[in-house]
Amino acid sequence: MYRYDEFDHQLVSERVKQFRGQVERRVSGELSEDAFKPLRLMNGVYLQLHAYMLRVAIPYGTLSSKQLRMQAHIARKYDRGYGHFTTRQNIQFNWPALDKIPDLLEELATVEMHAIQTSGNCIRNVTSDQYAAAIDGEVEDPRIISEIIRQWSTFHPEFTYLPRKFKIAVTGHDNDRAAIKLHDIGIVIKQNELGDVGYEIHVGGGQGRTPFIAKKMADFVPKAQLLAYLEAVMRVYNMLGRRDNSYKARIKIMVHETGEVEMRRLIEAEFAKIDASQMLAVPPAEIDRISAYFASPEFETLPASSDVLEAAKTQDADFARWVRANVVAHKQDGYAIVNISLKPIGGVPGDASDVQMEAVADLAERYSFDEIRVTHEQNLVLPHIRLDDLKTVYDALHAHDLATANLGLISDTIACPGLDYCNLANARSIPLAQEISERFADLDRQYDIGELKIKISGCINACGHHHVGHIGILGVDKKGTEFYQISLGGSADENASIGKITGRAFTEETIVDAIETVVTTYTDMREGSERFIDTYRRVGLDPFKERLYAE
Amino acid sequence: MPNKYQLMREGALCQDEWIYSDEATALSEAPTIISLSRLKAEADDLRARNAKLGVQLLADGNGKTQLGEDVQELEPYLDMLSLVSIAFPTYRNGRGFSAARVLREQFNFDGEIRASGEVLHDQWAMMRRCGITAFELAPTVRLETFTEAMSELSDAYQPAADDQRGALWQRHK
Repeated sequence: MYRYDEFDHQLVSERVKQFRGQVERRVSGELSEDAFKPLRLMNGVYLQLHAYMLRVAIPYGTLSSKQLRMQAHIARKYDRGYGHFTTRQNIQFNWPALDKIPDLLEELATVEMHAIQTSGNCIRNVTSDQYAAAIDGEVEDPRIISEIIRQWSTFHPEFTYLPRKFKIAVTGHDNDRAAIKLHDIGIVIKQNELGDVGYEIHVGGGQGRTPFIAKKMADFVPKAQLLAYLEAVMRVYNMLGRRDNSYKARIKIMVHETGEVEMRRLIEAEFAKIDASQMLAVPPAEIDRISAYFASPEFETLPASSDVLEAAKTQDADFARWVRANVVAHKQDGYAIVNISLKPIGGVPGDASDVQMEAVADLAERYSFDEIRVTHEQNLVLPHIRLDDLKTVYDALHAHDLATANLGLISDTIACPGLDYCNLANARSIPLAQEISERFADLDRQYDIGELKIKISGCINACGHHHVGHIGILGVDKKGTEFYQISLGGSADENASIGKITGRAFTEETIVDAIETVVTTYTDMREGSERFIDTYRRVGLDPFKERLYAE
Repeated sequence: MPNKYQLMREGALCQDEWIYSDEATALSEAPTIISLSRLKAEADDLRARNAKLGVQLLADGNGKTQLGEDVQELEPYLDMLSLVSIAFPTYRNGRGFSAARVLREQFNFDGEIRASGEVLHDQWAMMRRCGITAFELAPTVRLETFTEAMSELSDAYQPAADDQRGALWQRHK
């Protein structure tokens, strides 16, 4: 994992001091809420329905056990005993008191964390693949370049007042778990015929009220030129992106209105000018320094299978189901990647209590080389667990209600905070996610249904990623009543697609039945081992519409 | 007309010797800032004028998208210009940050670049990093506040238009 040097430490602590001054001026009344707003936003502080909310950055979703323990401590000391993991691999605290936030940030800084650029119209926290350095078939650990991008984009003097927020995601694998085509910039690490590592760049993806899949702007940007290329994209956007209407201000709209070809020409012209200076070519020695932090853990040489594991699976059917659903093959023989579902039946998607966080931190420290990952699907990962230890880890997770065996299944829902917390929402998301998971609580039924990603947003801003849910649910408000619109066929992976709306919206009372109808339509029509998304792509929207709106 | 701002230049409050002119008034010998449209229309005459000339780059352009004037249009006139004033209509509009860097880094402009309009406390230091050397500040801003704001962050992660190279480079001097 990356560790701060004195440079990083100094900047983060100076930032805390700066923010403390700003909060003092706000509390004393010297700063109005209007004048304070841009300052607090740059430090991750939102004003929600009931209170201030603080969003803490977890760069590319990687945490050490010490860092996760700090989140537990913060949940206990400054919040109501829990934190909420978000779709951008961050963690949010819903109830901190404003005047205590500088203290909170100071404590965070002791474990090399901060809330910088987790909001505001700047380059946000970089996200990446939660299986980085654990999955087989990766070109390179995506966290190396993610860390370089983190540093380059932090307090960037030119790109802190962009037309709109800006999100960058990186993957080093052909199976995209970082939803890179739904980001302002998506980066795929590639290797060319000469064996050199470089970057395929996608620009202009995004969700919100006008969803777009990103366009591929460059096939292969060499390693040394990446920051120059990124700076070119940013400058073209900052100069020509729209500022007259915040709904049309994201780069996706600019790419759409300008056209892919012209956009590419603009970026390449700017890139040529910036690259000529060589100013942004990161010294190879610095790349080596950062890479060294991400060196592979010292894995033991172990057999590819484990008798201990096989015996435990025979003895404990629940454990066997959990292994099947939540455990993924590791690149190293004798190890596995463990997914910890934060979607217990009837629970709040993405929430974890202080005690749960500490339990996960203990397991990471003892069994997973001190590493935890946060996924954009709001779950946690222990990336490097020995097969022999799986049962012990499972038992410990189970004792803390963290062993729900539903990864990628219908109850593994993404949901935004919705009307329970958010002042933008039209409808509640969390209670609906809870109702759906209770309706489909039977795990055998969930396995029979198979991979099915439900994503719920409480409003058109799409924080719950409904556009790319196999089943997407969007909360809409009609005359003060909450309604839910269904879309089908979305996907956030390497075959990214935007879902299609089925038709008229459903009420709070009928939406769960409607989801059930969609599911049974699929199970009636599927051929062989087809997943929901495969069946949908084969038969299209119509059969689902017919069943949903049949009277 | 008295200035509605106080000028901060090189870390000190100072008397502004520049005046903003409108589209029509004949220019005096005083250092004068004119609009881009006037610069383009009267370039030949202005070249013959023997006094300092500045231009203001407006943020609200024509067009429905209100992009503002394009810094690229200044390129043919740079030899005539001692000053570029970049207008920031609201603190949220950060387009001028890019204009300043293009002037410094791509056009090698070495005259004064000043920020006019709504500029916030925590933007001053970033503006300086982009090559802005003078600030038209609200009359209420105190010198100490400005000085303090400029030194809140002692270092930078990335290079820009100033002398700081950025951490990624500095670590391997």
